Amino acid sequence: MPSIVCTAKASYKKLPGTLELTDSHLQWTQDGRKNSVRVPHQDASSLFCSKEGAAQVRLKLGLVNDDVGHNFTFTTTPQEVAYSERETFKTELTNIISRNRSSGVLAAASAQTPKGPVTAASTLTPSKAATPAALPASRASTSRATSVVSDGRTPILSGQDAATVFRLRKRVLFANPELLALHKELVMGGQITEAEFWDGREHLLLAEAATENQKRGRPGQLVDPRPQTVDGGEVKIVITPQLVHDIFDEFPVVAKAYNDNVPNKLSEAEFWKRYFQSKLFNAHRASIRSSATQHVVKEDPIFDKYLEKDDDELEPRRLRDEVSDLFINLGATLEDHVETGNERDVTMQAGRQRGALPLIRKFNEHSERLLNSALGDAPPSKRRLVSGGDVENPFSEIEYDDLQDHESSPGILLEMQDRRRYFEGRLGRVGAANGGAESSREVIDVQNAFKDLLSRMNGWEGRFSQLKIEKKSSEAALSSMTQNVAARLDIKATKSDFPPGLFRQLTTCQTAANEFLRQFWTSIYPPPSDLHTPIPTAVQRSAKAAKMAGYLVKTHEKVDALVRAAVLEGVEGNRVVIAMKPLMDAVEHALAFHRGRSTALGGGASPEKPGSKLV
Amino acid sequence: MKFFIDNLPIVFPYDRIYPGDYAIKYDCVPLLAIQGHCVLEMPSGTGKTVSLLSLIVSYQQFHPTKRKLIYCSRTVPEIEKALSELKRLMKYRISCAETPEQREKEENFIGLGLTSRKNLCIHPEVSKEKKGKVVDARCRDLTNSAVCEKGRANPGSVELCDWHENLGTHEPGTLIPPGIWTLADVLQHGRDNGTCPYFTVRRMMPFVDVIIYSFHYLIDPKVADQVSKELSKDAIVVFDEAHNIDNVCIESLSIDLTRPMLDSASRSVTKLGEKIDEIKITDAAKLQDEYAKLVEGLQEATADTSPEDTFMANPALPDDLLNEAIPGNIRKAEHFVAFLKRFVEYLKTRMRVLHVVAETPLSFLQHLKDITYIRKTTVTSLIRTLELNRLDEHSALQKVASFATLVATYEKGFLLILEPFETDNATVPNPVFHFTCLDPSLAIKPVFEHFSSVVITSGTISPLDMYPKMLQFTPVVQETYPMTLTRNAFLPLVITRGSDQVAISSRFEVRNDPAVVRNFGSILVEYSKIVPDGIVAFFPSYLYMESIVAAWNDMGILNEVWKNKLIFVETPDANETSIALENYRRACDNGRGAVLLSVARGKVSEGIDFDHNYGRAVIMFGVPYQYTESRILKARLEYLRDAYRIRESEFLGFDAMRNAAQCVGRVLRGKTDWGLMVFADKRFARADKRAKLPRWINQYITEVASNLSTDMALTLSKLFMRTISQNPNENQTGISLWTLEDIEKAQAKQREQALLLEQEGQRDEDEYGDGGIDDEMCMDVDL
Repeated sequence: MPSIVCTAKASYKKLPGTLELTDSHLQWTQDGRKNSVRVPHQDASSLFCSKEGAAQVRLKLGLVNDDVGHNFTFTTTPQEVAYSERETFKTELTNIISRNRSSGVLAAASAQTPKGPVTAASTLTPSKAATPAALPASRASTSRATSVVSDGRTPILSGQDAATVFRLRKRVLFANPELLALHKELVMGGQITEAEFWDGREHLLLAEAATENQKRGRPGQLVDPRPQTVDGGEVKIVITPQLVHDIFDEFPVVAKAYNDNVPNKLSEAEFWKRYFQSKLFNAHRASIRSSATQHVVKEDPIFDKYLEKDDDELEPRRLRDEVSDLFINLGATLEDHVETGNERDVTMQAGRQRGALPLIRKFNEHSERLLNSALGDAPPSKRRLVSGGDVENPFSEIEYDDLQDHESSPGILLEMQDRRRYFEGRLGRVGAANGGAESSREVIDVQNAFKDLLSRMNGWEGRFSQLKIEKKSSEAALSSMTQNVAARLDIKATKSDFPPGLFRQLTTCQTAANEFLRQFWTSIYPPPSDLHTPIPTAVQRSAKAAKMAGYLVKTHEKVDALVRAAVLEGVEGNRVVIAMKPLMDAVEHALAFHRGRSTALGGGASPEKPGSKLV
Repeated sequence: MKFFIDNLPIVFPYDRIYPGDYAIKYDCVPLLAIQGHCVLEMPSGTGKTVSLLSLIVSYQQFHPTKRKLIYCSRTVPEIEKALSELKRLMKYRISCAETPEQREKEENFIGLGLTSRKNLCIHPEVSKEKKGKVVDARCRDLTNSAVCEKGRANPGSVELCDWHENLGTHEPGTLIPPGIWTLADVLQHGRDNGTCPYFTVRRMMPFVDVIIYSFHYLIDPKVADQVSKELSKDAIVVFDEAHNIDNVCIESLSIDLTRPMLDSASRSVTKLGEKIDEIKITDAAKLQDEYAKLVEGLQEATADTSPEDTFMANPALPDDLLNEAIPGNIRKAEHFVAFLKRFVEYLKTRMRVLHVVAETPLSFLQHLKDITYIRKTTVTSLIRTLELNRLDEHSALQKVASFATLVATYEKGFLLILEPFETDNATVPNPVFHFTCLDPSLAIKPVFEHFSSVVITSGTISPLDMYPKMLQFTPVVQETYPMTLTRNAFLPLVITRGSDQVAISSRFEVRNDPAVVRNFGSILVEYSKIVPDGIVAFFPSYLYMESIVAAWNDMGILNEVWKNKLIFVETPDANETSIALENYRRACDNGRGAVLLSVARGKVSEGIDFDHNYGRAVIMFGVPYQYTESRILKARLEYLRDAYRIRESEFLGFDAMRNAAQCVGRVLRGKTDWGLMVFADKRFARADKRAKLPRWINQYITEVASNLSTDMALTLSKLFMRTISQNPNENQTGISLWTLEDIEKAQAKQREQALLLEQEGQRDEDEYGDGGIDDEMCMDVDL
């Protein structure tokens, strides 16, 4: 059964009942009846509470696809107890919701593997597996993880210290409940080590590290505080710390003015008040209308000092270095030859709309600033080195990629025994087939065949009318069909899932066995070359394979135990066997392989030897 | 890959080839042999440059006669790109050379690019100058022969350019090792060896196999005279991106004079006079001597152009004029100066008129009889003789002189327009004297006459017959190549109305209508939401772009765009725009995405590629018509109608559509690239407008996509992007990409067809093709 995190008396739609928070669901049961409301954790998206001191102690849970959500009223008396109960729910649910949000779109359908007492594993660490809440449990796992990390065999991602790796692992586990459950069972159950668990899962950590390093960029919009008109004709601008920061960032001159004047000459509030009334502010506004309002604005001795001339000349006020990349250097074309010809007509002379020029420059500068805030403002020459590509291939910009024949690589030779014989045999077979086809083709005479067909078609109408379908067989067919449908319907109707407890045990057994299989095969296959983790030696790997094989052997017993348990619960044991069949096949296969390998390589007694041969 | 066309081995530096590229080669091989001019239209971004280069270089390397290739492009980025393509091609050729001799031959192939002193200077002080003119002048001061002589004779007496001096230590022809040098390479080579890159290229010109520079160096008589003199007649000339070649021609022969220019010219004249007086007192004999030398020199220069090797005729100065004796009245420097003074004064008086005047050169000359024989070069050499420094300060005077020369030379195809006011409603006079060329064929005529093979090519020169008509030549080959694609790599859409069904147009009457402005804006906003990486938007004019950007900002439309992408805008300053462009590309690379607002016919629209993530969508806001109120344009239209029977509306439509196509065509490079092309104006829906688009764009505009509202266009765009973003797992090879076998197959097929035709010809002896009784039969008939 799912472990219950907390529980309380609560009414839902004015019906009394019990509210329970398990580690997978929030569940409300009406008194004396069956379950009526069940919300999986993934669906929880928002939480609302009634104010303290309100007549009723309420809790509202918003759902991912349903903002209306569910309303629960805590009914325990006295009210203080109800409060504390609600607080418990609140903290737990807040955790769940924030986890939901951080994990983004965790498909609501994905079944959450429940934790709980499990077969073999739980016996080893009963206290920890039984810890009810998700949070403390994971904390317990962390303490364990560190101890494993310290054993020195942990594959540490290159360039990252153990602490970072540990943090990443934690995050991955939190984001992935199934993995968390598996981890809990296998690692904390002591069956495999932390390092082994993560071996082959480095990509998850790398992906997590990548997402962690990806910072959200600044929003693109221009800093342009627009005054709101309040009744009475006054304007109002709400200043937030964020706005202040943005203004300082966008207009360093304001920051300078602030440093010069606050708090000696002006108070903070006065500074902003005067700034928003000054010409300076109007010059900073991203609008060409501001020039029209210029005459309305009062003179301000303090701010007018900082006023700069409008940047509306054809040449920008701030001169910049030339772009060195000739592929995009427009100035070079302009200077390529002496200017000739008549001047361009009025509409084609750039910069005739004087008022728009400061605005346009502001756009370009703002965009550049945003880019630099994300990419750093290294000089262009350096930038190119960093971006790579260009250095290796000077023609990368002009090359036509699709004209290159990438497919003509020699390819990898398929290694197989006695290749020549295979091909010869194939050739022979193909030849024979061809020969056969040819000879048969010679036999077929189209005209004859056609005539033959025609003659056979003669009198088809008469024969068609004589066609009779025997009653008996048709009835038999129909009845068998009906039976089939009925049987299916029956199965469908009666198809009851395994009891939840058993089902959970089944899945746990399967995921565990899968993990063992994964570990087994990774220790058999040659290690991937692209990961920057220390590659275990052959001896280590074969030892690991042997260990995993040992675990896999036990799968049989486990399944048998499950079958027995199923019978006890009133489920046909056969169904369990069928359900576990693919797994058993895989296990059998792995074991057979292991046995075959050990015996093939000298008696099978020394698992170290085959490993060394593998490499 | 290497294949043969008519026994000519062609090395193409890729494993595959587009069928269009093959077709171009197939059509051009005979052209190179028989010599003649041709016009080729080929879809943008399908390897036009590399295709032509590989063909011509193959030809050059195969035939023992060393024919030079003169490859002209529009802009420095394009020149640099062409040089890189050539460099890559040669690298490939060297790598697949079969014998050591062949290899050596390939390695000795020289290709260089030429641009101005400003772009190639590495002198620490001179190169800091912002204006090209100033760089030119200061460079001349440090490098002209008189100064050099003095400096070498007496080291330290005058300042010389070390980089230029270092060149003298090398043998001519070995200033730079053989190979292909891009502009950046040449600069680096100069820095490494302490030699002047500009003069390296200039002095290597007679030795190179390929020279790549801009149109002006061949078409503009002022420049061509100095730079393109040594180029021999059998050189192959290619004008790439030549869709605006007529404008370049016209520009090279047009001049504007303004009041400040005249003031500056008259100051120069005074200074010149003073200098002469001064020298007359100090060194009368020297002046006389120098002057005699000058006159001799001029005559020698004329004599140099002996008939067996006539360099390009100077279009500004017909042959007879060149050979004529130097007129007597300018023999004496004083007289010449006095004359210039009078001329400047005369122009100043003309400028006082407060109404528009348009007249032909002939009638202008009637006012002014004796200016006929001023030569610009005369002015320059005079200044040099007088050892005046800083030529740039006298540029105004030079301009006046060339103005005078042009006015005196041509009677037809030019017009003088005096505009006293800048705009119609201006009250303060700001007079401009336009001397405008109306006939593009005048400037390019010497090129066609001098060189035997001229190739004019671009992605957008539809309709093809327009160019031969305007430039007055007869092409041997005139071809437009379609685009073969296995899947539609681009989606042209014509948006004629907004989501609110209000028609959108950049027509002058409605362009500032708030509904139109908002609808244009919502197109940008919506596309910025759905298109990844870069979006480029083009406006018909700077005026419109600047006003609409301001309007969008005030309407809060740009705020919506800021939410999705960064915004960059083209500014009047070229360097500022380059920086914006660089940042735009960074934003596209980074994934942040950006919108670039720029102007058709503007700086950005020419020579910058927006391939791959740099441009997933191009939006053309409005039809980029020229400003029809312009007097110069009106005069030109009138001339086109009278001289070549090209109707005004036809020319305007053609001109607008070629520019629109040019903007839009920059999104594609290669056939795996993809992009959206949005034409936002109801006038694009008209069949006559669309017919003027190049065939390779037009063939993909479906009937549905030619008249859309914004929301419909968005739906189509989304659908398109979803399909195009799939992995192109179908193999393009054989359809839009050819391997060597495909080429051989095609060649076999062609041969077969040729054979078939021949047989047909033999069988079909009906000479007149009318199925009547032929001559032989008549003869056989026994009468």
